[in-house]
Amino acid sequence: MKKALALLLVALISLSAVFAGGSSESADDGKTTLTWAIWDYATTPYYDALIDAYEASHPDVNVEVIDLGSADYQTALQIQLSGGGSEFDVVAVKDIPGYNNLVKAGLLADLTPLAERDGIDTSLYGGIVEQVTVDGKFYELPFRSDFWVLFYNKDLFDAAGVPYPTNDMTFEEYDALARQMTSGSGASKVYGAHYHTWRSAIQLFGILDGKHQITDGGDYSYLKPYYEMALAQQADGIVQDYATLKTSNIHYSGVFYNESVAMMNMGSWYIATLIAANNDGTSDAENWGIVKYPHAEGVEPGTTLGTITALAIPSGTDQSEEAWDFVKFVCGEEGAKALAGTGNFPALTNDDINNIIAATPGFPTDEASKEALNVAQLYLEMPLHDKSAEIEVVLNEFHDQIMTGNMSVDEGLAEMGRRVDEVLAN
Amino acid sequence: MLKKKESEAPAFTANGLPIDRSIKIVKSKAAKREEVKRNLVAYSFIAPNFIGFAIFTLVPIVFAFALAFLNWNGNTEMTWAGLDNFKYIFTNEMFLASLKNTFVYTIGTVPLTLVVALFLAIVLNQKIRGRNFFRTVSFFPYVGSLVAITAVWNMLFNPSMGPINEILIRLGVEDPPRWIADNDWAMFTIVLFSVWKYMGYYMVIYLAGLQGINTELYEAASIDGVNTWQKFWYVTLPQLRNTTFFILIMLTIQCFKVYDIVYMLAGAGSGALSQATTVLVYEIYNSAFRYWRLGVASAEALVLFAIVLVVTIVQFKLDKE
Repeated sequence: MKKALALLLVALISLSAVFAGGSSESADDGKTTLTWAIWDYATTPYYDALIDAYEASHPDVNVEVIDLGSADYQTALQIQLSGGGSEFDVVAVKDIPGYNNLVKAGLLADLTPLAERDGIDTSLYGGIVEQVTVDGKFYELPFRSDFWVLFYNKDLFDAAGVPYPTNDMTFEEYDALARQMTSGSGASKVYGAHYHTWRSAIQLFGILDGKHQITDGGDYSYLKPYYEMALAQQADGIVQDYATLKTSNIHYSGVFYNESVAMMNMGSWYIATLIAANNDGTSDAENWGIVKYPHAEGVEPGTTLGTITALAIPSGTDQSEEAWDFVKFVCGEEGAKALAGTGNFPALTNDDINNIIAATPGFPTDEASKEALNVAQLYLEMPLHDKSAEIEVVLNEFHDQIMTGNMSVDEGLAEMGRRVDEVLAN
Repeated sequence: MLKKKESEAPAFTANGLPIDRSIKIVKSKAAKREEVKRNLVAYSFIAPNFIGFAIFTLVPIVFAFALAFLNWNGNTEMTWAGLDNFKYIFTNEMFLASLKNTFVYTIGTVPLTLVVALFLAIVLNQKIRGRNFFRTVSFFPYVGSLVAITAVWNMLFNPSMGPINEILIRLGVEDPPRWIADNDWAMFTIVLFSVWKYMGYYMVIYLAGLQGINTELYEAASIDGVNTWQKFWYVTLPQLRNTTFFILIMLTIQCFKVYDIVYMLAGAGSGALSQATTVLVYEIYNSAFRYWRLGVASAEALVLFAIVLVVTIVQFKLDKE
């Protein structure tokens, strides 16, 4: 009888414990070699920018990267680290559930004493370090932080004679604008707005008032107005149908590139992608801008959600001092500048950094777009929680059920609450 | 079975002399040593394969049995869980849903594939024009890359832009099914795909079975004056019994292990399977490598193992009547 795939993989983990051989990192010519686990090396320009900057100021260190791929990065990383025999000195941590799993398994080194010793000012990270602190200890430092903004296509607004979106829009104004911008049919159809299939694109409108945590379970009826807005837009052809997007696996970048959507809420990582696509001709949306996320009545404009990318040090490395020095550099001022130079957002932010990004060739030149970079309040897409990986699955499930019309909004949200409660209870 | 064979062992040698089993052959020391040596040589030939099997298959399987009764996240200390993992999975809605979906999938796919494969085999066993061409056409889904063909299926069955629904609407269907995006139709769509993908492979096995049937049986049947249907029912089908049994077992196991097809059809867009489409192997993967509850994952895998074991034993029993 064939056993399931998973069993074999479980076996591989245990085997890695058996064969865990410490990799020798004593490099020739007396140089220290740091091995860094990352994903998507070929398509991400900032890794090299960071490494070059570090190696320039540390000529005795050689940083090598190992690309574990993006799709199952956290899984691959955790398997490699389990058993303590990996060769990594520094690892990038992709998301919060993944971070939580690594911490729970005791695979990351506690950075708190090192940060205290070297006087790292964690307040510079805008409260993010506090959000990843577990029992008074943190195991990662963010180097990149992305937040959601509203992208829009200026040419489409000009053609329709509609004024551009602003940095201070309520959801009602945003909805009205999306409806106003919808026109045409067939191949020339322009959709007023666009929601990618991620739950964060709609669900997390609801947490911007700061009154709710998405991991709390219980009553999720506070998400109802946003689901109703999105479903009404979907029914009226203001946005593309969720089920269609999902089953045809349509990527959000394409619909913006080919000018079929007027507005799209998306993370700030898309800025660098869009600039690059405009430069090499992949994109037709050359004339674009960004504004702050729409907000509910009484919520400060510039309140948005975000994700962070962080660095951590595996507890198994024998070069933790060298690794810590690299982490300090990448997450600190110098790393931030190198990162901003590639059009990406460092976790360490200040006006200088925003100016560097706004000065990137290809970034919109209007004042509103520059102003949109000022974040008033950032909530993590997924807050740190012991059960975050399991909660995430439930949240996705019922986002899907509601958006495909398999469940009504009320039904879906009630089930979501019940199932999250179940996860929390177990 | 082995015992039976021993008792049926011939009592005569090849040239007709009776075998007296009461005589014991006393081997000399040298002969014994020779035998040990011969065995060692034989074992050494088996060793490379067996060591690989032991390390990568046997140990993990045994380990998985133990893990099902432990709590472990892959790195920290294991703790005893007893039956907690089993209690947990049988109250977990996603696991129960995956159990149900896997059964629905298997019950839907196995008989349909058998019937379609047999039908194709019989049709393409006739001397018709372009027989090889049609055989190739039927076999093609099996060799086509899963990623490519599921992408095509997802386009064809796209709920709002797909040609299938376009045609249905033209034909006057008011509210065509939303296929994979609809909880009630998703599993059906997956079964449809599986039948289409597997029919060619099992058709080839049936073709081999058909060609192994002695034509004299058909001649005898013709002389007895039976019609085509009776020929099929009383000659073809019984003669194909071994083939059918083989296909039944292989297909059932294959269906219980399903993962790739479902994931590519229903999960490619979002990277996750919903409650309407999740299957056992996917839940095992999730428990192990998303939640890092290796004990729970092993318990789920044991359930899968038990199901496949029981189904196979039942099939063997039924085959023996």
